[in-house]
Amino acid sequence: MPDVELAKKQGEILLKTRVSAVRQSFSYEETAYHLPISYALTGVPVHDQRAALDVYSRTGSNPLVASESILADMTAVSGKEPGPYTGFISDTVIRKLGYSLVDGSILGLALVVGTPPNAGMAAAVCRELQEKYMLTFLAGEVIPALSGAGVRLGLEYRLIPLGSTPFYGVHFVDIIARVAMMFGGVPPGDTHRLLTYAAERARAIVIVFPGLTDEEIALVDGMRVLGFPILTPGGYRGGSWIQAVPEDIVRKGMEERGIRVNVTAIPIPMGCSPAFEGKSIRKEEMYVEFGGGRSPAFELLRMRMPDEVKDGQVTVIGPEIGTMKEGSANPLGIIIEVAGRTMKKDYEPVLERRIHNFVNYGEGSWHVAQRDLIWVRISKEAVAKGVRIEHIGKLLASKFRMDFPQLLDAVSVTLITDREKVLAAKKEAEEIYDERDARIKGMRDQDVDTYYSCTLCQTFAPNHVCVITPERPALCGAISWLDGKIAFEMSPAGANQPVEKGAALNVQNGEFDGVNRFIKKASHGEIERCSLYSVMEYPMTCCGCFEAIALMLPEVNGIMVVNREFKGMTPSGMTFSTLAGTIGGGAQTPGFAGISKNYILSDRFLQGEGGIERLVWMPSQLREELRDRLTKKLAEKGLAGLFGKIADETTAATIEDLAAFLERVQHPALAMKPLV
Amino acid sequence: MALKALDIYKLLPKKNCKECGDPTCLTFAMKLAGGKADVDLCPYLSEEAKSVLGASTRPPIRLVRVGVGERFFKVGEETVLYRHEKTFYHPPGIVFRVRDTQTAPEIAAVTRRVRDETFTRVGADLRFSGIAIENTSGSAETFAKAVAAVEAEQAHLPPVLIAKDPAALKAGLVHCGSYRPLLHAANKENFRDLCALAKQYGCPLVIRAATPEGLVQLMKDCTEEGVQELMLDPAPETLGAFITRSTQIRQLAITRSVPELGYPVFLDSTLTGQQDAAIALGIVKYASVIVTDPLTPGPAKAALTLRQNIYTDPQKPIQMNPGLYRVGTPDKDAPVLLTVNFSLTFFTLEGYLESTRVPCFMLIVDTEGLSVLTAVAAGKLSETLVRDSIKKFGLENEVSHRKLIIPGYAAPLSGRIEEATGWKVLVGPRDAAEIGEFLHEEWKKEGGAP
Amino acid sequence: MSYELNFGWTSTIGEVMLGATKADGGTRRLSYRIGGGTTLPFLESRAGSPSPLIALEICDYLPFWPPIVKNYCGDLVNSVGEWAKAADASYGADLIRLYLTSTRQRNFEDIATLGKTVEDVLSASSLPLAIEGSNEPKIDSEVFQTCGEVAQGERLLLGTAEAGKYRSVAAAALAYNHSIIAQSPIDINLAKQLNILLKEIGVQRDHIVIDPYTGALGYGFEYSYSAMERIRFSALKGDADLAMPMICSAIDSLTIKEVREAEPRLQDEMATRWEFYTGIAAAAAGAEIICVRHPGTIPLLRKAFTDMKKPAGPAEVR
Repeated sequence: MPDVELAKKQGEILLKTRVSAVRQSFSYEETAYHLPISYALTGVPVHDQRAALDVYSRTGSNPLVASESILADMTAVSGKEPGPYTGFISDTVIRKLGYSLVDGSILGLALVVGTPPNAGMAAAVCRELQEKYMLTFLAGEVIPALSGAGVRLGLEYRLIPLGSTPFYGVHFVDIIARVAMMFGGVPPGDTHRLLTYAAERARAIVIVFPGLTDEEIALVDGMRVLGFPILTPGGYRGGSWIQAVPEDIVRKGMEERGIRVNVTAIPIPMGCSPAFEGKSIRKEEMYVEFGGGRSPAFELLRMRMPDEVKDGQVTVIGPEIGTMKEGSANPLGIIIEVAGRTMKKDYEPVLERRIHNFVNYGEGSWHVAQRDLIWVRISKEAVAKGVRIEHIGKLLASKFRMDFPQLLDAVSVTLITDREKVLAAKKEAEEIYDERDARIKGMRDQDVDTYYSCTLCQTFAPNHVCVITPERPALCGAISWLDGKIAFEMSPAGANQPVEKGAALNVQNGEFDGVNRFIKKASHGEIERCSLYSVMEYPMTCCGCFEAIALMLPEVNGIMVVNREFKGMTPSGMTFSTLAGTIGGGAQTPGFAGISKNYILSDRFLQGEGGIERLVWMPSQLREELRDRLTKKLAEKGLAGLFGKIADETTAATIEDLAAFLERVQHPALAMKPLV
Repeated sequence: MALKALDIYKLLPKKNCKECGDPTCLTFAMKLAGGKADVDLCPYLSEEAKSVLGASTRPPIRLVRVGVGERFFKVGEETVLYRHEKTFYHPPGIVFRVRDTQTAPEIAAVTRRVRDETFTRVGADLRFSGIAIENTSGSAETFAKAVAAVEAEQAHLPPVLIAKDPAALKAGLVHCGSYRPLLHAANKENFRDLCALAKQYGCPLVIRAATPEGLVQLMKDCTEEGVQELMLDPAPETLGAFITRSTQIRQLAITRSVPELGYPVFLDSTLTGQQDAAIALGIVKYASVIVTDPLTPGPAKAALTLRQNIYTDPQKPIQMNPGLYRVGTPDKDAPVLLTVNFSLTFFTLEGYLESTRVPCFMLIVDTEGLSVLTAVAAGKLSETLVRDSIKKFGLENEVSHRKLIIPGYAAPLSGRIEEATGWKVLVGPRDAAEIGEFLHEEWKKEGGAP
Repeated sequence: MSYELNFGWTSTIGEVMLGATKADGGTRRLSYRIGGGTTLPFLESRAGSPSPLIALEICDYLPFWPPIVKNYCGDLVNSVGEWAKAADASYGADLIRLYLTSTRQRNFEDIATLGKTVEDVLSASSLPLAIEGSNEPKIDSEVFQTCGEVAQGERLLLGTAEAGKYRSVAAAALAYNHSIIAQSPIDINLAKQLNILLKEIGVQRDHIVIDPYTGALGYGFEYSYSAMERIRFSALKGDADLAMPMICSAIDSLTIKEVREAEPRLQDEMATRWEFYTGIAAAAAGAEIICVRHPGTIPLLRKAFTDMKKPAGPAEVR
């Protein structure tokens, strides 16, 4: 069994000798790129010995370059090999192939060389490559082995026989070099860009069967510099070649190279579409239900390491629907395990929320709530069509892969219907929920260096940008700092972008130079400064979808809040609607700030103005909505009596009434620093 | 440099006396900041505060009124260069011109056209704005007769008097002076005479010069003569010149770099030799009064529609009136498609439905102009709204089936709508472009015949 | 007192080449370089700033086309070659935009004929060509490959890439060196995102024309108008992902109620004026390619653009 390192060294020496012996002048007619590998690496057209030796030395005696010249020379001397071998492939065909690579009809390229121990192994590997939309090039004894096994070859079968020996595998590299120059904008001679293109964009793998000569080993190993993983089912020792059993070699190779097959169809006996999302299943229509207070149920999504998740695997632990009584309530645990190169633990809750949508997309399945409060039903109609719990698992596994093709490489689903096991797993799940809640709750603005922007409302307010911090959610109330972070990581070109905080310019007001820089750019120069925690000085701009408005009432030295739902007049002399019309549209209006309702409970609310003691008025309905949480918060701050001192439209409708009210209750705002 | 509400507030008396008409000084300050109030309304401001505030809170482009009575219009008080920054407030008056060399019947016919012709679109009546009478003959007497011919129709339309000779204007004003006509135009030779006339009758005056310096000088001269309501005619020789000069005037005015240019712009569309192009450019590039020869139906409708579109407030999307709309002649078996009253959604869906050639009903419900996605997210599109709309518009009398097709993005509501209405709900595509395919495949499967 | 306008622009609009002459490896009699603007439209004082191009849209399958066009043009519309020839020689278009409407038929499979159609148009007129392909995932790959390949070397403008469906158009652009139209639903942020996605798979910025989608006048036009103004503004303020020329094609203009219900003798005027007012406004907002379907609109636009480009008077504006 050859040792790759030793054979490689031998091979390189042999290649050196052979390239010096190159005699003919040679050229491939069907290309504008001369000898493509040499041309891409050095910009030098090679058509004779002098040029061949020149580029060989320029590229540091590169085995790919040597092999290319040697093969061109051989072809000039002995002519092209007869069919079915293709030899060098023309630019016209390469253009077509490149097209398919870009438009996604081909996922990647594979080179298979050598002599397979038996035809069956080669056929199985090639069939798997075909099923996974790979374009496969073959060189060596593997070709007659496949033909002998009845496998059809040719461009239309995506199995291209390059040549009778593995040495013809060099054409695989000249094809990739041409794709780089034709499609990747790599200029001839720009080695660095070529290597970058090959490493980042060329989705290529190499599978080596036994029987390669030393030169051929040197040639194949030389492909590693392009970032191609070299895999072998056996017959070679050492080197950086990856050993894998034939059944796993294609999967491993594709995973190494980051080539993902997209899931398009869901193999279950039920329809699956967003159109079914709103269909509920009434008691009379259901066959069986889970959770909803009638039986224990929970759902959980966890991230795992790639080797811990078998993509598409669905396991049911416990009885299936077939053995459940019609109309019964049963225990259920839904556990989704995902793996992906760019997957992060932070994303678990975001992905977990999708279980709800996906189950509702099923025609005949219905889902409500989340975590350990879920309620799931399967309809009689669906069960009659053959739907089982396992199919719900398949639906989930498929949908997660379909909807997150870049993020998730593998998804497996476990459905537990055994009561004892559900209860045990539920306990563990609950610990995880608590852990997640604790993580977000404790987050403070000073814990992070990066905030996130949101431009979702820019259609209505062209210069407006929200800056979202852990303690200050977006003014629409819908997006938290974590949401923004995850959205950015999942869609780097999307509506949420990172904002480097930079140095603090004014700690009380929450003004940071990084934030200022960002806002200045995002508002096209309109807004130069922004204080995240202030209403009076450089407050954040507003679009129009804020849940509430905080504004100054200079007469009483305080700040009032009015929310969208309140239709009446406020002590400021303006209604919510009038205020919204004036401060919206991307304007920065000192004294006025659009906020989310939850921000009122944040420690940062009104920090710039001295704290929540400034709060003098808000509509009674909002007051009630926030009562429990706000009183708790105020008590924590030692301001237990403050809640009763905040007026509403029933205790003070006009500014005069408010002044009198605040005086009566001795509201702390009256004694604070003047606002204006 | 525009002052912010807070800074303005600091200069106000802070008495909340309400004499300006607003309940608090804060409210008044916000209006001033938005260029929406007159600083003179506050009786307790010091002269100094008034001048500081006045200069920076007065609307950067003066409001000018033309005409009286029901058809009068006002222009000016604009604050932005791009409509998307806020909105354009006052649509330009588009005025038909008659020449005093035309016969009285011809003049009368044009007048009647402007009086009567109405083009209704999305619930708004679009009309041309006034009559311009031009002294083509050069004779003051002929001019006066022409003006009289217009006024004889009793159309009470805002007049625009176009004459180079102040004597002609004087003669014409006899017949229409009390109707606030717009006078065209004062230049550096005749401005004293024209100002006298403008003052006498209290009407707005166009000043005309080909350079900004010329306009600024004329503005100063005329305001010194006591005429405040002015419009600017930048005398463009080409369409390119108009775009440049009008943009320049708008930008210098709203940034308050050259407050002397803070007046509405006048454009005579025929001077550049290409009327339609000038009208279109006038509408999008800040003209406030556009004079044109009478337009035939094609350009007339297009011009009025462009004006309506450009001067729509971008933050207040046009809403359709909720109701039952027909596409083609639907019968009792025709499909019913639900959607929202946001005009863009309506038009998009209507367009696709028309191209399918399937007669159908569109049930348009009141989501206050929100699109489907937004209305679903905001809870404005709800099963109760659908149920109430079905009743209100008598849908159950129009079709014998009880099947409702809802937009794809409203799928989450499908079950609740079924429960609330008792109708069967079919979830249509998310993209209106696919409605044709849906009607031909899914609706057909339901037994509906396209 | 200074009358100078200073908008504070920091950047310019990128340029895109359309059409390839013999010198560049194609067979067009001229090629265009669009874009390059340094300020708001028509304020430019630099010589040689181009007028917007006027493109006549034609198709290969009439049932999906506004009937008024056939009424006006007559039987020549039954042959794409004849129609293209007329567009060039009689109607005076700058650019021909060929819509392969035949691909919109249900279960369309005859992709080979498309190659022939494209060839016919290429030989009937030597004007630069734009092609609007299919919009059906099953056939898109082959359709765009065919078009791209048949017109290799001609520097086409291929349409249309959208957020969910851009790979096939992009592939054809990359393989055969054409430019593409990137369309978004009247949303500047989505336009930007699409351009970034295209950049990621290798389409260069100077091969992209932005289509913000144009609603017909009276049917949403103002949204498109403002989207164009905003894109232009952002581009000039330095946003390289939006600094591409724009195209305006209000395809519904000839089937709207006002045109359909006009008196027959007034219908052509209604149609041409509708397209005209739309085109002028779009050009004022920054569109560099104005597409029309009624030939009568072309001379009107051309005359107007000539006068719109005439330089300003004494005061200099930057």
